[in-house]
Amino acid sequence: MIEVESLTKHRAGLPVLDAVSLRGVDGGVTVLVGPSGGGKSTLLRCLNGLETFEGGGITIAGHRLAVGPHSDVGLHELRRDVGMVFQQFNLFPHLSVLDNVMLAPRAVLKLPANEARSRALDLLNRVGLGSFAAARPATLSGGQQQRVAIARALAMRPRVMLFDEPTSALDPSMTSEVLDVIMDLAKAGQTMVVVTHDHGFAKRAATWVVELVAGRVARQGRAEEIL
Amino acid sequence: MRSVIPRGVAVVVGCLITVGVTLAADLDEVRRRGELVWAADQEGGGPHVFPDPADPRRITGFEVELADLIAGELGVKARFQQGQWDRLPLLLDQSADCVINGIELTPERRRDYGCSRPYFGYALQLLGRRGSPPATFADLAAAGPSGPWRVGVLTSSAAETELRSRAASGELHVEVIGYDGTLDSLEQVQSGVLDAAVMDDCIFTFYADRFAGLRTIDRPFAGGLYTVLTSKATPELVAAIDAALGRLIANGQLKSLYDRWDLAGRQQMLMLRDAAEIPPARRRSLGELVRQTVPLLLSSAGMTVLLSCAAFPLAIAVGLAVAIGRLHGPAWLRPLLTGYVEMLRGTPLMLQLYAIFFLLPKIGLALPALVAAILGLALNYSAYESEIYRAGLKAVPLGQFEAALSLGLTKWQALRHVLVPQAVRIVMPPVTNDFIALFKDTSVCSAITVIELTKRYSVLALSTGRIVELALVTAVLYLAMSWPLSLLSRWFEARLERSAGPTH
Repeated sequence: MIEVESLTKHRAGLPVLDAVSLRGVDGGVTVLVGPSGGGKSTLLRCLNGLETFEGGGITIAGHRLAVGPHSDVGLHELRRDVGMVFQQFNLFPHLSVLDNVMLAPRAVLKLPANEARSRALDLLNRVGLGSFAAARPATLSGGQQQRVAIARALAMRPRVMLFDEPTSALDPSMTSEVLDVIMDLAKAGQTMVVVTHDHGFAKRAATWVVELVAGRVARQGRAEEIL
Repeated sequence: MRSVIPRGVAVVVGCLITVGVTLAADLDEVRRRGELVWAADQEGGGPHVFPDPADPRRITGFEVELADLIAGELGVKARFQQGQWDRLPLLLDQSADCVINGIELTPERRRDYGCSRPYFGYALQLLGRRGSPPATFADLAAAGPSGPWRVGVLTSSAAETELRSRAASGELHVEVIGYDGTLDSLEQVQSGVLDAAVMDDCIFTFYADRFAGLRTIDRPFAGGLYTVLTSKATPELVAAIDAALGRLIANGQLKSLYDRWDLAGRQQMLMLRDAAEIPPARRRSLGELVRQTVPLLLSSAGMTVLLSCAAFPLAIAVGLAVAIGRLHGPAWLRPLLTGYVEMLRGTPLMLQLYAIFFLLPKIGLALPALVAAILGLALNYSAYESEIYRAGLKAVPLGQFEAALSLGLTKWQALRHVLVPQAVRIVMPPVTNDFIALFKDTSVCSAITVIELTKRYSVLALSTGRIVELALVTAVLYLAMSWPLSLLSRWFEARLERSAGPTH
């Protein structure tokens, strides 16, 4: 479902990604590790078209991304199938927790309000935040906000979920509540790509580990081989 | 920094406060200075005072020469002081010794100012388009083809007073529209916005060639006399000017001046000889003043509210669209919108109103004054609002946009559901602030004949002579209207701080 071929991206003339090729595991968790600046987040952002690239190509959830500027229509289609969770949560502060989760199903999938609401409440219950539906994001802890962000992405029922360092902005005490949610998703067979520095989590969750160093794939393999 | 009270009113109040201490310069002071400062409005035009066509830095006109003659009789030089015509009398307590600019001698002016003996007789002439009604002055007694005749006059002139009183008594079926410039009404008759205009006959005689499409209708229907206006505080100066005029009449210099300007010198001398004394008007009691002026001031305050409340939502809608276009629109559109903003921000509101009201009719698009005023205010403020919204949109973190896009929202959905609602909250305080500013800027609309509160004040203050009292009433009215807006602005700010919290 995820295939990256010789992906090359430059920033200010320097290669950020240098002929990166990899294949994601369908129904499994592909974990990207490596030192900071190695290109992990950039690769992840290329996967849903937030970044363009200069060489190679990407196939993800049946969509094809090629070199050069992406078409708005193509990206719109792709992103319906590829969800993303950010390091900084990026919840919409002017909307309640429930409305954060309902927005995309209403606006993009055009679901009726009651259907979108029940889908959103199911997901909030699944991440343990059903009682916070009416709250504003700013009143939640970081760990709670990140769980809402996961529910928000899941509300589109994406075929692939991308996580960009989902616990790096959290206190250690909140990390486990977020990782537990991601582990549950992994057990349920959700195809995921996760960028993380947390080797403990990587060992527990990863089906396949890719180590990026200086924009190149340094090693890849099963978690017990790499970590 | 924009203050709560429009500049016009503030200036008036300011100079009133200084009246008590700085007495206007009387004859001794004028002689010591060696200069007689006389005020006029060169925009008023010929044949009175106007820029010399051969050298527009100089002014010319029969009153320029008259000022030189009078100053010469006083043994001093004449120095010109520019002012807006309907507010020239206010300069008497400030920078001018006298006003020589077609000021009609009226009972009210005799009461409030020092008035010299008359120096010129004028006649009020009705003017229309060739081949269009009205055909005679008597036609004005009944309604025109489409309701009351629309007749333009110079604001605060005898023509306005005369027509308004005849309209009020039911003698004439006319809607009187006041303009700040003498020639504005002629332009508007020519372009078909007005049915007719009324002004001093000598003005039309002077400009008849430029307005070849216009004609005089009947003989003049009323008339009066011009006076040199001075402050009541300078009786010796008035006496000296009277004596000077007497000598200029006796020695024939005034007649030959009028003959040089084609103003029928002999006829003028006869009129001045036979002019009857005009008694000063009675000063109205405070009760009468309140009964007569407060309803007018209140209805003009209503116009101020109407202008603001109609223009501002338009300004916000256009401003938001422009801001979004500049940040997210197609590349070819962005420089056009930048040009739109710079053009509207970089030129005065007054000029934009003039363009909409006086120039559009020339290409066949005549807008009613109220529509032109609302449109002008809305366009002008849309430029400022767009800059505020642009800043507001840029203040929303990029992560918000990326999160919306990554959920599958299109760019426009992301703007509508995520960016704009957040930007609106961010900019609420400065936008409310601009509403208060626009509210006061409505006073500029008087330039295109819309009578709002400041204009009404100005007209009433000069016609009643109760400048201080009315300034206070007007200021109170402005405060009463803008204070709730300030409260609203503060309420928005407080709500914003409570509800939004940090964005991350």
